[in-house]
Amino acid sequence: MGTELGKYKVCVSARSTDKEIMWKAQDGGIVTSLFAFALEHGIIDGAIVAGPGARPWQPRPFIATTREELLSARGTKYNISPQVSWLKEATRSFGLDKVGIVGTPCQMQAVRKAQLYPVGMRDVPDKVALAIGIFCMENFPYKSIQMIVEDHAGTKLQATKKMEIGKGKFTVITERGKSIALPLKITHKYEQPGCHVCLDYVANLGDISTGSVGSPDGWSTVFIRTKKGEETWNKAIAAGCFETKPIEQVKPGLDLVSKLANEKISKNKKTVEERATFGVNKALRNPYL
Amino acid sequence: MSKVVEISPTTRHEGHSKLVLKINDQGIVERGDWLSITPVRGVEKLAIGKTMDQVPKIASRVCGICPIAHTLAGIEAMEASIKCEIPQDAKLLRVILHAANRLHSIALHNILILPDFYLPGTDTKINPFAKVEPVRSVAARIIRLREIGQTIGEIAGGEAVHPSNPRVGGMYRNVTERARMKMYDLAKEGRQLATDQMEFMIAILRNFQKRDYCVVGNAKVPMPKDLGYHNQGYMAVDPMYGTNSLAEHPTWQPERWAESRPWDWYMGEMEIDFEDPSYPIGGTTKKGTKANPQMEACTGVPTYDGQPVEVGPRARLVKFKGYDEKGTVGQHIARQLEYVDCVYAILKSLDALNPSGKVLADPIPQGDGSMGWAANEAPRGTDVHLARVKDGRVQWYEMLVPTTWNFPTCSRALTGAPWQLAEIVVRGYDPCVSCATHMIVVDDDNRIVAQKLIQ
Repeated sequence: MGTELGKYKVCVSARSTDKEIMWKAQDGGIVTSLFAFALEHGIIDGAIVAGPGARPWQPRPFIATTREELLSARGTKYNISPQVSWLKEATRSFGLDKVGIVGTPCQMQAVRKAQLYPVGMRDVPDKVALAIGIFCMENFPYKSIQMIVEDHAGTKLQATKKMEIGKGKFTVITERGKSIALPLKITHKYEQPGCHVCLDYVANLGDISTGSVGSPDGWSTVFIRTKKGEETWNKAIAAGCFETKPIEQVKPGLDLVSKLANEKISKNKKTVEERATFGVNKALRNPYL
Repeated sequence: MSKVVEISPTTRHEGHSKLVLKINDQGIVERGDWLSITPVRGVEKLAIGKTMDQVPKIASRVCGICPIAHTLAGIEAMEASIKCEIPQDAKLLRVILHAANRLHSIALHNILILPDFYLPGTDTKINPFAKVEPVRSVAARIIRLREIGQTIGEIAGGEAVHPSNPRVGGMYRNVTERARMKMYDLAKEGRQLATDQMEFMIAILRNFQKRDYCVVGNAKVPMPKDLGYHNQGYMAVDPMYGTNSLAEHPTWQPERWAESRPWDWYMGEMEIDFEDPSYPIGGTTKKGTKANPQMEACTGVPTYDGQPVEVGPRARLVKFKGYDEKGTVGQHIARQLEYVDCVYAILKSLDALNPSGKVLADPIPQGDGSMGWAANEAPRGTDVHLARVKDGRVQWYEMLVPTTWNFPTCSRALTGAPWQLAEIVVRGYDPCVSCATHMIVVDDDNRIVAQKLIQ
C-alpha cells in the first residue's frame, strides 16, 4: 500500500537511558522519557497521561505537571482512557500554555480535529505543544480486560504485573512471575467494536508516534513525523535521554510494522464497507470519506 | 417648528436600536426616543419548568457581550431562592471572572467609541484600525487588555464567553496554584496597561470636551457644554460585584422597582420630515417614512422609585465613590476609571484565593418556591435576575438587564443635544441592546395584547 505508516521524517529504534523509567516501562520508555525531558526543558508545562484509575488496571487520564506524576503513569493499560477529555481543562483551571498529550491514533485524530475546527475548544489549538501517538491495533472496554485477565487467564487483576500484546499473543504476567499467553483469537470478541473502522495503526497524526512493534524486546519503534516532533526529539537525543539504533539494523524491523498496519487497514476496510449496507436503508457513514 | 429625524440603525454598539428625534429649527433635540428594535429573546418563558442548573446557562445565551454577568446573576438568583450559601473560594473565583469580563468589556468599548473623538491638537478623528502612531500602539494595548481579561476569565470561569465553571452552589472546580499564578502575572501586566490606557482615554475625552465644534457628515456641529446631561438619578448595588436577597443589607429593593409599557412612555406614530443624506453611514431615514416608537420598542420601561434611572460605571462611582461629573464625557471618564479597579479586584481576590479550598456547597437545597433575586454589576450596569425555584425547577424567572434601565434615561439625556451628536450620547451608555429586550405579545393588528408585568 505504501501509505500505511503515514508521513514521517525519521524512524528509529530507541529506548530510554533513564533506569527509573525503564524499571516499569512497557517497552522502551519513550513516552515517559520524552515528556519528562520536555517538562524539564519547558517544551511542555504538563502532559495528559493515563494514570492509575479507581479500579486495578483501569486508566484515568490526568494532567501530570511533575516527573513523579509522569512516572505514576508508566506502562500500557489496555483499556479505554479518555485523554482528550482533559485537553480543554488543561488550558483552563490548570493554566497550562503548552500541553503534551499521549493517545491512541483515534485520539490523535481528535486532537488534530480540535485544532483544525476548534468548536468548543476556544484558545486550545495553539496550546498543544507535543502530541505523542501510540501504535494501536484495537482497544478494550474495562469489562473486557476483566474477562480476559480474570476468566481466560485465571489471574486476579490486582495480582497482575504487566500485560503485553505481541507475537500473536495477549500475555498476562503476574506479580509472582507466572506468564499466561492467550492467543489473540480469544480476545478478538472482547475488542471495542468502534475500533473496527479505524484505518490508522501507527498514529499518523502524532508529532511523534511510538510502539513496540518492529523493535527488539525492551526497545520501541519511533516515528518522528513533524517539525515540532523532530526538534523535541533531537534535543532529547542531544541530552542523552535515549539510545537509538537505525531501524534498518534491527529485527524484525519496519517490514513487520508495515505488515501489521496493512492487516489492520485491510481488515477494517471490510468493516467500513460492510457498514455501508448495514441497517434499514440507513447506511452508516464511512468515517474516512 | 419641530421636525422629526430618524437614525436607524444606530451603530458601533451591540444589538439593533434606533433613534427617533424631534428637533427644532437649529437642529437641537426637543424630545428624543432611543429604542431597541432587536427581536425579543423570550428567555424568561423558556426558563419555566427547566432545572435551576439549566436556566442560568440559557440566560447567558441572551447575549455574547455580557454573558458572564447574566450567568452569575442567574446562578445567584437561584441560590438566593433556594437559600444556598457558597464557599468563600467560589465567591472569589466569581469576582475574578466578573472583573476580568469588565476589563475586557471596557477595552472593547474603547474601540467602539474612539472614532467619535479627535487626536488632541488636530482635526483628525481617530481611526483605531489605522496603521499610524499613536493609534497603532493604542489599538495593540486595547487588544492585549482584552486578551488579558478573556484569558483570566477562561481560567477562572472555564470559558471567556459563556462561562462553564460557575454552577448553582459554587463552582465546578477550583484552579491550580499554577493557574492562580498565571492569572496573577496577567493581572500585573494588565495593571500597567490599564493605567496607561485610562490616561490616554481621559486625555482624548478632555480634549473632545474642550472643542467648540465637531464634524459629523458634512455638518460642523457646535459642541454643547451639557452634552448628555439628565436629572434621572442613579442606581448601583456595589462598586464591583453585586448583592442578592440573602445579603445582610441588600442594596437593591425589589419593591422600589416597577415596569411600565413602551406604549405609555415613547412617542406615537409620526412621519419623518427631515433627512440628511450626508450623515454617516448612508444618511438618515428617508423623508416620508413612518416611525412609531410606541409599537416598535421591544423593551419595557423599568422604573426605580417611579423614575427611569441610569445604571453603569458612572452610577457606581456616584453611589460609592463620590464621583459627580455629569454628561456623556463624565460617563466615559467614569468607565475609564474602572479599568484599574478591575485589575485590583482581580489581584486582591487572587491573594485571598486558596487553590485547595472547597468551591461547592454541600448540600445544595432544592428550593421551596420562595422568591430570590441577585443583582450583579455588569460592565453596563446593574443586572438583576429574579427567580422562584421549587424542587430544583424554576417556576418564575425575570431578567432586568442594564440597558433596559438605560433606554428611557438616555432618551431623556438626548434633549438639548444637536441631533448629529445623539449617537455619541447613546454610545456613552455602552449599550448592549439584545439582552435588553423583553417579553411583549403583539396581535395581528400590531396591538399589545399581553405583556409580562411585575407580579
